Formats: sequence, C-alpha cells, structure tokens
Amino acid sequence: MTIAREADPVAAEAELRNSGLDREDLLTVYRNMLLTRGIEERGHILYKQGKIPGSFYTGRGNEGAAVGIATAMGPDDVGAPLHRDMGVHITRGVEPWRIIANYMGKEDGPARGKDGNVHMADARLGLIAMVSHLPAMLPVAVGAALAFRIREESRVAIGWFGEGSAARGDAHEAMNLAGVRRLPMVFVCDNNQWAYSTPTHLGFATPNIADRARSYGFEGVVVDGTDVLAVYREAKRAIEKARSGGGPTLIECMTLRMEGHAVHDDAFYVPKDMFEEWAKHDPIERFRTWLKDYADLREQEEEEIAADLKKLLNEAIRRAEESPLPDPATVTEGVYAAPEDLDTPHHK
Amino acid sequence: MAERTYLQAISDGLRQEMRRDKRVFVIGEDVGVYGGAFKVTLGFQEEFGAWRVIDAPLSETAIVGGCTGAALMGMRPVAEMQFADFVSCAWDHLVTVAAKQFYRAGTPVPMVVRLPSGGGFSGGPFHSQNPESSFAHIPGLKCVCPATPEDAKGLLATAIEDPNPVLYFEHKHLYRRLKAEVPEERYTIPFGEARTHRVGEDISVITWGAMVHTADEAAEELAKEDVSVEVVDLRTVMPWDRKAVLASVEKTSKVLVLHEDTRTGGFGAEIAATIAEEAFESLDAPVKRIAAPDSPVPFSPPLEKAFIPQVETVASGLRELAAY
Amino acid sequence: MATGTIIDVVMPQMGVSVSEGTIVKWLKSEGETIEADEALLEISTDKVDTEVPSPGTGVVAKILVHEGETVDVGTKLAEIAPEGAGPAVAEPEPAVEPEPAAEPEPAVEPELAPEPATAAAAAEADAPSSAESPGPAAPAAPAVPAETPAPAAAGDSSENGKSFVSPVVARIAAEHGVDVGTIQGTGQGGRVTKKDILAFIESGPAPAPAAPPEAAPTEAEPVAPAAPTEPSAQPTAPPVIANAQPQAAGTGETLEPMNAMRRGIAEHMRRSLDTAAHVTSAIEVDMSKVVAIREKLKASYQKDYGVNPTYLAFVGRAAVDTLHDYPWINGELRDDQIVTRNYVNLGIAVELADGKGLIVPVIKNAEGLNLLGLARSITDIAARARDKKLLPDDVQGGTFTITNPGGYGTFHGTPVISQPQAGILGTYALVKRPWVVQDALGNDVLAIRPIMNITLTYDHRLVDGALAGRFLHDVREKLQSWGEDRY
Repeated sequence: MTIAREADPVAAEAELRNSGLDREDLLTVYRNMLLTRGIEERGHILYKQGKIPGSFYTGRGNEGAAVGIATAMGPDDVGAPLHRDMGVHITRGVEPWRIIANYMGKEDGPARGKDGNVHMADARLGLIAMVSHLPAMLPVAVGAALAFRIREESRVAIGWFGEGSAARGDAHEAMNLAGVRRLPMVFVCDNNQWAYSTPTHLGFATPNIADRARSYGFEGVVVDGTDVLAVYREAKRAIEKARSGGGPTLIECMTLRMEGHAVHDDAFYVPKDMFEEWAKHDPIERFRTWLKDYADLREQEEEEIAADLKKLLNEAIRRAEESPLPDPATVTEGVYAAPEDLDTPHHK
Repeated sequence: MAERTYLQAISDGLRQEMRRDKRVFVIGEDVGVYGGAFKVTLGFQEEFGAWRVIDAPLSETAIVGGCTGAALMGMRPVAEMQFADFVSCAWDHLVTVAAKQFYRAGTPVPMVVRLPSGGGFSGGPFHSQNPESSFAHIPGLKCVCPATPEDAKGLLATAIEDPNPVLYFEHKHLYRRLKAEVPEERYTIPFGEARTHRVGEDISVITWGAMVHTADEAAEELAKEDVSVEVVDLRTVMPWDRKAVLASVEKTSKVLVLHEDTRTGGFGAEIAATIAEEAFESLDAPVKRIAAPDSPVPFSPPLEKAFIPQVETVASGLRELAAY
Repeated sequence: MATGTIIDVVMPQMGVSVSEGTIVKWLKSEGETIEADEALLEISTDKVDTEVPSPGTGVVAKILVHEGETVDVGTKLAEIAPEGAGPAVAEPEPAVEPEPAAEPEPAVEPELAPEPATAAAAAEADAPSSAESPGPAAPAAPAVPAETPAPAAAGDSSENGKSFVSPVVARIAAEHGVDVGTIQGTGQGGRVTKKDILAFIESGPAPAPAAPPEAAPTEAEPVAPAAPTEPSAQPTAPPVIANAQPQAAGTGETLEPMNAMRRGIAEHMRRSLDTAAHVTSAIEVDMSKVVAIREKLKASYQKDYGVNPTYLAFVGRAAVDTLHDYPWINGELRDDQIVTRNYVNLGIAVELADGKGLIVPVIKNAEGLNLLGLARSITDIAARARDKKLLPDDVQGGTFTITNPGGYGTFHGTPVISQPQAGILGTYALVKRPWVVQDALGNDVLAIRPIMNITLTYDHRLVDGALAGRFLHDVREKLQSWGEDRY
C-alpha cells in the first residue's frame, strides 16, 4: 500500500479554470503534446533513414506528464528535464528545428554538435542540459533551488528523474538536502515502469517512489501520468507550495514506456498485454476526447492544428538538414569558459 | 602587509571575497557552526549568516552538484570537502557534469571546491591524498596548488573569479607551519604562471604544494656542495606553465620533477614527457622524477616517512643529477 | 544523401554499438513506386529487427544489396529515382587517394649528430668538405656526411670511458664547431657535460665557430676565394687520430687540436689528389665586352631585381653553356663507367669568414638559368651560406665547380677537384694589361684591356688535354664575344 497521496483524476473543466487555464491554454497544451509526439515520430524515421547518428530515445506515452508539469512552471522557474520529457522543451518554447538539428549533430542544435540526443537545453528558457549518468541532474536542480533560496527569489527549480535512476545515491542526497533546507524544489519522477529491461519490482521494494518523500520530510504524490490535466493540477500545487516557502514535493507520474528504451530496443521483455492496456490510456487520445467533451473541440479545429503542425515539422526538418555540421577544427573549443561567457540569463 | 599563516591567508582571502561579492557562499560539512574542520571558516557564519555559510549533510554529491546548479544560476559557490580524499564521492559529478557543462551547453559553471590535501601527520590512506592528477586529466576542470601563504590568497581570489570549476588543493600540512608576509589588500594571481621559488643554475626542480619547501631545503644542502639548484613552483597544475618549465630546463639542462602524489600517472609524468618532447636538445641528463611510491598513504610514521618524499631523498636525487 | 537527383537508401545504425545489418526482406521491388516514409525494407541487427522507411518519394530504381546479405552501417542499399527524374548516373565515390608519404627531409644530421667529429663538421652548416688547393685559398670545409647519420655515435673516443654525448652537448658542439672528443669530461664515466663544453668553449684553444661565410658574389670584384668541394655522399668518420694523448709542446711551440672541419678538409684534399690525375690548363680572356655589358646592366639589375651581375655570373653562364658541348667535363668516373648528365649542378665555392673554411653550395640545373637567373641564384646561395641557412640538399649533387681565388689578386692557381667531379674552373683577378689588338686597318697596336686568367683543372683519367683546351677556348670565345642581346 502506498504511503504517498494518490491524486484524483480530473473531473471537469471548471476545476481546471481554477488553476488558471482557459480554452486557449488548453488548446496550447494539446498542441504541445501533439508537437512533442510529432517531433519524436519524425525523428524516429530520420534515425532509421540514417540521418541521425548515435542512438535515438523517445518519450512516447509521457507527453502528458511532461507537458503537464511544464505548463505549470512559471516563466522564471528552472527545470532539468530528461530524455522522456521532450514535452518540457516544447512547452518552454524550444524551436523544433533546433531540436532536430541537435539530433543530427548540427551546428544549430543547442549543443552545437558537442552532445546529441536530448542532451541539450536552452538556458534562456530556464532549462538545464542533462547528462547520461542519471539522476545526476537532481543535485544540480537542488543547487538552483539553493541559489533561489539564498537570494530569496520566488523561483522554483524542478528536477526530473526516472524510477530506475532513483536507485542511485544522487537521488537520495539531492532529496535529503532539499528536504533538510526546505528548498523551493519539485522532484518529478517519471515512472514508466521499465528501466531499460528492468521492471520496477527489481528496482525498488516499495510500491511507489513517491513513498520515499516522507523520509525526506516532504509530501509525495502519485498521479496518473497519462492525464495531462491531473498532472498539471498537481504540478501547479507543488510549484506554488515551493514558491511560497512550503518546501519540496515529489510528484510521481505513472505511465508506461510505449516504445523500447531506445529505438534499437524492441522491448520484447514487456508483456504484450501491458502495451495493450496502456495504449488505451494514450495521453493525447485522452486529452482529445476530454477537449471534445468539455472544451468543444471541433473537427475542423483539429484538422487545422494537425495541418499546421505537419507544416511546421516539415519546415523544421528542412531547416535542420540545411544547418551545417560542426567544423572539426573546433573540437577543443569551449572546453573552458572565459570571463566574457558569464552572461547566461540567470546570472543576476 | 601582515604576517599570516597559510591557513589564515586562505581564510582572509575567502572572507574578503565574501564581503566583496554577495554571490559567493560557502557550503560544506561542519563549515558553519563549527567553523570548518580546520577552522578556515571560523567566524564566517556569524558574519555572513546561515544562508551564506551552509552546513550541509554528509553528501559530497549534493554539495558539489548543488554548487553546479547554484553556479548555473549565477552564484559563486565555494564548496569545502572536509578532506580532499572525500572528493572521490563527488568525482562522478565533477567529471560528468561540472567539467562538461560549458562545452556541451555553453553555460559556465563558476565554482570552487576547496580540498585540504596532503599528508605527513599520520592521517592514513583517507586523510592524506593528493588527487590533483586525476582531475588535471579531465578537460574542463582547473587545478590549483598553492605553496605559500601569499600565493594561497591570490590564487583563491582568482579561483572564485574564474568562470570554470576550480579544484583548489590547500595542503593541510602547510596550514599552520608556514608563516609569511601577506598583503592585506585583495590581489589575484593568474593561473598557469609558475613562480621561481629559488633561482639556480645547475639543476631545475619542478614542483608544487608542500614539496616546494622540501625542494628548497634540499637545495640549501646542495648549495653547500656548490651545486646551484633552481626550484620552480608551478602554483597551478592545470593549466601549468609550460614555458617557464622549458625555460628553466634550457638554462640548467638537468631537471627533477617532484610531487607528493604517487609516481605512476602522477602529474609529473605529463611534465616529464613534455620536457622530453620539447626540450630534448637542452638535456644534459635524463629527466628525473621523485614522487611517492605507488601505494595508498600509509599510517604508521616510519611507513609514511618512506612514502612522502623527504628532504634527504630529494637531496640525494639532486646529487645524482649533479654528478651525471 | 542524393547523387544528382537519385536518392540513396542506406543501412541505418540501430544503436551505438551496432556496426552492421542484414536485409531480411525488400517490401518493394525495382520499378515499383514508393512514398517518403513508407516502409521500404525490413532489416535485422544485433539489437533489433525493424523496418526502414523510404527517404523519398519515387520509383525504386536499383536494389544494390539483396535479401540475406549483411552489410556495414552506412552502406548504400538502394536508389530511388524521384518522379520525373531521368535515370541519373550515379557518380562513384571519389576514391580517396592516400597522400603519398612525403619524402622525409634528409635529416639535418649535423645538428643532432652525437658523433663528435661530425658534430663539429656539422657546424659548417652542412657544408661538404672541400679539398684545399695548395694555393693561398682559404681553408676548406670539412666533410659532412649529410646523408649518413653518424651511427658513428658509438665509434669515437675509445680512450674516454663513456662515449655518450647528451643532446645539449651535441647541440652546443654543433653550434660551435667543437669536437667533443677533444674535451676532458667530468661527468659520469668521463663523459663531457654541458659545463665541460661550455667551459671549453670559453677558454678553450682556438675553437672554430662556424662563422658565416663571406658571400663571395656580393662584391663587384670577383672575390670569394674558393676551393673545390666535396659534394655529397662522403665517407663517414674522418680519421679519428686526434684522440690520442696530446703530446707536450716543445719550447716555443703551441699545440692546438684539429677540429673536425680541418680534419675533414685534410682528408678530402689527400683523397682527391690520390684519386684524380690532376692537370691544369689556363687561358687568358679579354673581358672588355663583359665589362662593358656589366656596366650597362648593373644599374638596372640592381634596381629591377636587387641583384648584382658579378663577373662570376658571366663566367658561370659561359661555362655552363659550354659544358653542354663537353659532357665529360661535367661527368664522372664511376667504377668502370663514365657518367654524363643532361643537367649541370654548378657548385660555387664560398669562403667563410675569418678564413675558417669553405662551403660549396650547389645551384641545381644551372643549364636552365640565364644571366639574371644565375646572378640571382649566386646571390641567394651566398646569402644563405652566410646566414647558415643551407640545407643538406644545397651542398650535394654538384657536377662541376667554379672557384674564384682571384679575389686577393692572384692571377693563377691549380685548385683541387671536388670528388667525384671531373673538373673545376678557377677564375682569377681581373687585371688591366697592355694587350696587342688590331686597329681598324688590321695592324697590331697596343691597347689596355681587362684580362682575366681562367684555369680548368681536370681529371686526366677522363679528360685529355686537348679536350680541356677546346673547352677553355670555347669559354673564352663566349666571354669575348658577349653580345648584349644574349642571355
């Protein structure tokens, strides 16, 4: 039995209005989810066509959780999303063509070819670039929250981690420090039930990761990650709590990883019926239905949105393809920063 | 000018920076109420408050990783590892995130990690190491090893100003044993600039940290035997002053590379290789290295004495070079 | 990636460690149409089996890899012809030619030669040694085995316990033309230390520093005392006698060791005279025409080209031209065969400052140079010799040499041939002499003419007197009839 609180599903639009989302906002949420999936689907194809080097990861099935949390972030809040959280980059405003350029290792990707995959972030949008060693970004996000606390700014830091990476010490140290110091932090656990081929019962011994929050001195919440509005609601609550000095919250978003760990993994170890069951909870489908039911989403609107996104994605791919590959001579550039580089947006 | 110990110089420098720049804060274990295990931050929390002198839990990763996050947000954090040896707990973070963040994401990480390092007092394997070489090897990190009170203060100011992650190795055996005149005003000393600790003609000793003084004592002995030994204090190991080293080698043609860290893969190997590669035609003898043997730092005094390069060992090595 | 209008389908990399894939099934055949992103084939890799979507819309023009085949990641699997595109000719990938490994420069051995003797020799900027003429010519440069590195590193100084010469000692020795073998060593095993050699140089007996040679041709007057030179491929270690215990000086005597340069010269002079049958013929040349033309050209050459047209350039030009008709004089006796060439590599002897010795840099392919070109080459080579910037290549490969001992006023000489050449031309002082000429009516009258004696010293094994005489005659003819419009 889980210790953490289980979030209620979203009932009606009215409840949402209280959280400050009007119809426009809702359609934006919808659009962001579609765009997230669109980029990853197109990227998947590009990868198989040999146009993207390295490996390719998607967060299929996590669009609701990612967009839901990001939508609740304030403009000056800061986040360190991971590879299942493309929705965060999209919601914060990273341009799709740059994301694809990053996949392709081009100059115009945020990492300028120095790193690939989703190891990128636009610092101007309050994002911190992830590394492969997870959950290494949690202590970093906690550090950001620490800075806000020291400067007494009403800003919040959000750190993402997967249920598998929760097994490493970084998670413990980060949550412990945040809890001890009541830092303005929200921890988001993307629990998609599989860490590569490791199921949750081989990763931790409690029903939920959110159960651990109590041992760090703050609240843990388990929410249906495919319900974007429920995620949004919990995120809003946690972020505002942190902002007002209430300390951290751990939100655990339950989803299923609908594809392999990466494109090169066909996830044979996931029982077929699990896929079938969770397919019924596709976050985009759910939200589309909800929008039709409660926000009067019309077919024509839908088609317009779809056509618009298709155009945007085509354009994004074209632009990314035109972006140059980095010059080999620059390989050792940027190892060290110079004083002039100290001009990133949050250095106030 | 005032006479200060090596430790006092560091403390003075840190305090000066904290007064000067609100973004500077200290975080570490026992740094606040206790004033730091070695009392470097004694009185700091009283002056700057609990949110600028932060007592952290026993969490090197959270401390160092937290510094990265805070630095990304515009702070100038100075972490204290209680002993340099404990930085291994945060090695992952330093190497994985801190060192590579600017290269990958264009966002500088202006942070300092202070590391009380070195042995000589029966500290044993986990309180005596000199881990500079493993970090010097990682592109993106800087490594600073002051040997004198004056250098300690100036180099700390530079470290805090530097937009990169800087590992500052303060040799704890020098903390209270060294006293010198230190300017009271703020000053910086550039990285990558060595200092000739002692001028000589016949042999060059390239070294840093506590070994600078060991080399100096050995040079005194050799001077009585009419051998003039030059001691070059690198002051910073990454970046290191290649030019100064090569110039000294060109002058004397005999060189001893000396460090307290273990021999194999110690940073002296990099220096020796560079000398062989770039100053071959200046050499009148093979490049010699003296360092600790390849073992953990032993605890018992006779063992530790056999481990840490002693004045006699260095003098003997110098005599060999002189006679070659 | 498209070649022309063709779209290529490649084997994708399904995962970081995957390096190859196998075609399981083609879902379209050649000639069938396909849409972009539509599944085109199925592949199997170590990690996963998957479909590959088409990169473009069109017709499957060519299938290059078939079902069941395994290929590396990146291999072209098929070609798609977009609608409306003609069958394009796929350009083959330009083969990447590996750069032929650059010929390594013949090592400038002297700088690094640990071998004491050659180290000193090296000091002369890689100058081959020259045999000295018994005349007043300046001392010659020692032989430098520019090609053969001195494996003689081991050789030397058997008297000293340790023959090892450290890099810095070798360098200092080279820079100062000092023979390490002559220095007492205080290092381990008696090796010479840096201190030892520096002390030796400061206080030592007449060290022969490699002074920059005086550039012969920079003067108007024929200067540059010359001596024949050893072009290249010279013997290895010069005689290593000098290392014997030095004998005490008698009353009134001073002793100094021979440096490597001196020893090299001595060795070569002896050897050249022992090898070739030296004979010298001489001819006097009326240089009036040359003098006149030179006067005319001097100003414009200097202004337009920064070059001084010396007499040496004129003589050199005439000689090179004449050699074309006398291949044996430009030739060589090699074992039992006579070697002749279709080129002239002209060595010009250049004196080093303070009479320290001689260098004979070589102007390659002098037959292709006109007067201006030759004047320029002489200026350049002399400058480089002076600045010690000659490369080993500059002092090798000579086929004929000109030496000019006349700078001090001598009117005749008998230079020593530079082995393995067959001849050496000597030029002497240009002197105004009373001369019998014909007046307009064909009567003998006295005139004052600038006369230069030139000699050809030749190897009589190959070149007979008559041939030599005819050669000199032709050279004289060219000089005496020099027309402004020529060269």
